[in-house]
Amino acid sequence: MAKKWVGTSIKRKEDASMLTGEATYVDDMQLPGMLHCAILRSDYAHANIKSIDVSEARKLPGVIDIITGEDVKEYPLAAAVEFAHFDLKSPVKQAYLLAVDRALYAGQPIAAVAAVDKYIAEDALDLIQVHYEPLTPVVSMEQALSEDAPLIYEEWGDNVQMQVPSKAGDVDAAFAEADRVIKVKIGEHRYCAFPLEGRAAIADYKPRTGKLHTWISSQASSAPRANFAKTLKIPEQNVSVTVPHVGGAFGTKLNWSVETIPCLLSKRTGRPVKYVENKIETFTIGPHARDYVFNGEVACKNDGTILGVKADVMFDLGIESSYRGTAIAKCVILLKTFLGQYKIKNYSFLSRAIVTNKAFQCSYRAFGKEQGSRFIERIMNIVARELGISPEEIRLKNYIQPEEFPYRTTSGALYDSGDYPGTLKRVLEMADIPSLRKEQARLEEEGRYLMGIGIASFVQPSGSAVPDGYLNGMEGATLKLLPEGGFILSTAHCTLGQGIETTLSQVVADEFTVTPEDVRVIIGDSDKAPYSSGGFASRGAAWVVGAAVTVSRKLKEKVLRFGAHVLKVEADEVELKDGKIQVKRDPAKSVSLHELATSVHFWPGAIGVLPDEFLYTDPSLDATAYWTAPNPPVSWAAPINLYCTHPNGAEVSTILIDKETGKITVPKRFVVYDCGTLINPDIVKHQYIGGALQGINGILNEELCYDENGQLTTTTYMDYLIPGSHEMLGETVFEHQETPSPFTPLGCKGMGEAGTFCSVSSVMNAVEDALGITITKTPLKPQTVLDYVKEAMEKGTLNRRREW
Amino acid sequence: MKKTITMTVNGQIMKAEVEPRTLLIDCLRDQLGLSGAKVGCVVGKCGACTIILNGLTVKSCMMFAVQADGAEIMTIEGLAGDGELHPMQQAFTDKSAVQCGFCTSGMVLTATQLAKDHPNASEEEIKDAIGGHICRCTGYVAIVDAIKEGCKRMSEQQG
Repeated sequence: MAKKWVGTSIKRKEDASMLTGEATYVDDMQLPGMLHCAILRSDYAHANIKSIDVSEARKLPGVIDIITGEDVKEYPLAAAVEFAHFDLKSPVKQAYLLAVDRALYAGQPIAAVAAVDKYIAEDALDLIQVHYEPLTPVVSMEQALSEDAPLIYEEWGDNVQMQVPSKAGDVDAAFAEADRVIKVKIGEHRYCAFPLEGRAAIADYKPRTGKLHTWISSQASSAPRANFAKTLKIPEQNVSVTVPHVGGAFGTKLNWSVETIPCLLSKRTGRPVKYVENKIETFTIGPHARDYVFNGEVACKNDGTILGVKADVMFDLGIESSYRGTAIAKCVILLKTFLGQYKIKNYSFLSRAIVTNKAFQCSYRAFGKEQGSRFIERIMNIVARELGISPEEIRLKNYIQPEEFPYRTTSGALYDSGDYPGTLKRVLEMADIPSLRKEQARLEEEGRYLMGIGIASFVQPSGSAVPDGYLNGMEGATLKLLPEGGFILSTAHCTLGQGIETTLSQVVADEFTVTPEDVRVIIGDSDKAPYSSGGFASRGAAWVVGAAVTVSRKLKEKVLRFGAHVLKVEADEVELKDGKIQVKRDPAKSVSLHELATSVHFWPGAIGVLPDEFLYTDPSLDATAYWTAPNPPVSWAAPINLYCTHPNGAEVSTILIDKETGKITVPKRFVVYDCGTLINPDIVKHQYIGGALQGINGILNEELCYDENGQLTTTTYMDYLIPGSHEMLGETVFEHQETPSPFTPLGCKGMGEAGTFCSVSSVMNAVEDALGITITKTPLKPQTVLDYVKEAMEKGTLNRRREW
Repeated sequence: MKKTITMTVNGQIMKAEVEPRTLLIDCLRDQLGLSGAKVGCVVGKCGACTIILNGLTVKSCMMFAVQADGAEIMTIEGLAGDGELHPMQQAFTDKSAVQCGFCTSGMVLTATQLAKDHPNASEEEIKDAIGGHICRCTGYVAIVDAIKEGCKRMSEQQG
């Protein structure tokens, strides 16, 4: 099929509505009689709740309802992920949408008010009296694992929610055979996305019919329908979830426990209830992300061949994460994805999820996959430096080669395609390392700045189907050819800023030889489309496009047969061209899609135009279809492939360290990225660049700081250093490569999370290049950087000879 | 005790009944139905609520509605002409500067104001001008490009 629109950077269809204020987000909606919800949060990180007195608050005019832990006991939260096949060491038996009897972190919702306006709802919170009995909080992983640590979930006997070992090959033999064993300790601090639009929900429960309609800012519409239904004990067929425009998500809007609070208030009051969290709630309630430490050992030969890796990984989850968030799945995903682009046959890993009295974790661009990638990419550079070989050479020595695809890693992942050496060589060529080295020497001579040059590469597992829970893969779409010749594609996927309405219309347009303007995409409504797992794990270009192509081809087959019947020829004698069905050998004989659709629907109508075999079975010009990736994961027990596509890329980042202030800037970056067949190259490029700032600023400036009492001290954009225009990265020289995936219908690979993988690895490697020492502490805020500069000066590593 | 205020919003005279503590952003969005300005952080840091008030860009979450009594206001809804985007809006879509759209209305209004005051703004001046806005999606690169282009188009249109 000729591609006309796929591969073209058409301007986004979404933009005009966003640029004019027409686009609707949850908080832009108002329903008649709507109440407003405000949430009282725990003052303590860990405390028994002895009593809650809401009597004064109830007397405030305008307050309609108040709920506390007592009112939610009959509504235990439905789990988001469960690991039936795994030894989930310590399952939490029940979790609730408000704290019941005990508060587990500062900021945990403990009571909620519904009032006639949001000001009165907030006033009412001040009148609620809570009698706390403070308990000792657990504020670090070290403390959590210590002998005398307070237990957050007493029934567990310790503070470990999950402990997953993973092994492949013969790691002991690999270490025995090694020329060198190099120890590596890396980690990251706690930080997260905090999108401009926080949590937002409107719940409208109709007591007479028992129907609940919710509008939420979310990455999925089908899964929360089941979640709300199960938690609130409403039959799922009576629950509707609509996701309008979403003001950023990045993985953080895949948990719905807080959104259930306005749902319950609506169920109790019989009135619509809106909850829009303020930014302090965005920070304190969570979700959070990262906050892990790797202690690893690498067995290698002197020539750089990696023989085996051992590692112990610990995640600081905050409170449990199987009901509120899905973070325990990260511990497993990391084990399946950390091998990156390398042929590492032997490894032994232990991944542990530790609970503390902090906000819960969920996903954040890219749900553990970026952690595995950063680990292996840092290892490559650290080991290369120890061995005195170049970071390029060590990668080329260990890469999977282009002719080896599809490639099954020892952890079970099945890589689709790519040219890893080619991608790396191209980015090095673009960067012109020798001239960068000259510039580095010149700046060192001058004295004020230290320049670093960092290379890194990555494979980006995307398009997940994670068994046991809402992250499972199921993706359907419905396509209709309307009487006047236009198309409507319906998907319950969500629009988070990825431009998916544009890209899907490009895909359908090509299938029917029409234009993207002929295709309207309806998105984010559980009522209007078949089941969709949602917008996470870079699923769009793999699964949603997969469903769009499959449904297009299903409808196309019908359209061609109808058209052939009208043209009085056989179906194999016609083809689609320029929006017409035409006879191949006589193109003058044709019927346009518009004419065909009109004749089927109206003049003369299906009875007059369709042959009996369609008239009495399926006279419609609609189709519904699902797409499932090949090589799906079957069970957690075996080595499994969780992601159907594996884009890859390589980067060179240059950084400058100001020796006087400790500030790090990133003046220039070079990126080569391959996500298979491109649908809209500009959309890919700009999502990548945006993701890179998220990644890099996260590692440099952002930090969620808890004090010794378990109080979060960074609770607004004022004290949490979200990147502004002055943190903008310097120039990015960006180049696409296209190695189609054999596993998706158009060869596309999911890309949304790509920007956060390699950006961090290449910048960290650049900092180490500048200083000549290994960085173990993040974020790299100025004071930390100054400490590292001092360390490097003392060790004399600043002016060492660089090997590449 | 509610007060009646009168404002000229996007060229139309509008009245609203507000509590003294009602924020201007809430009055515009909830009472006047102009939801293009967004509630982002309510501490004046993110710029999503930006409007133009008496010729100046203002964060409408940092003002009480009563303080805007008698003011002339333009919100994002008032920027585009009939059926056509304003040159700054057009530059934003042409330069791929929109992703989730939540910061967009504020960014565009600040950018049009910059273009009027400094039609030849340098990259540094553009970064300074949008220093009070947060975008979590784009990394600002496309936005800065779009503002450069928008400034150029606006001055061409006037010249």
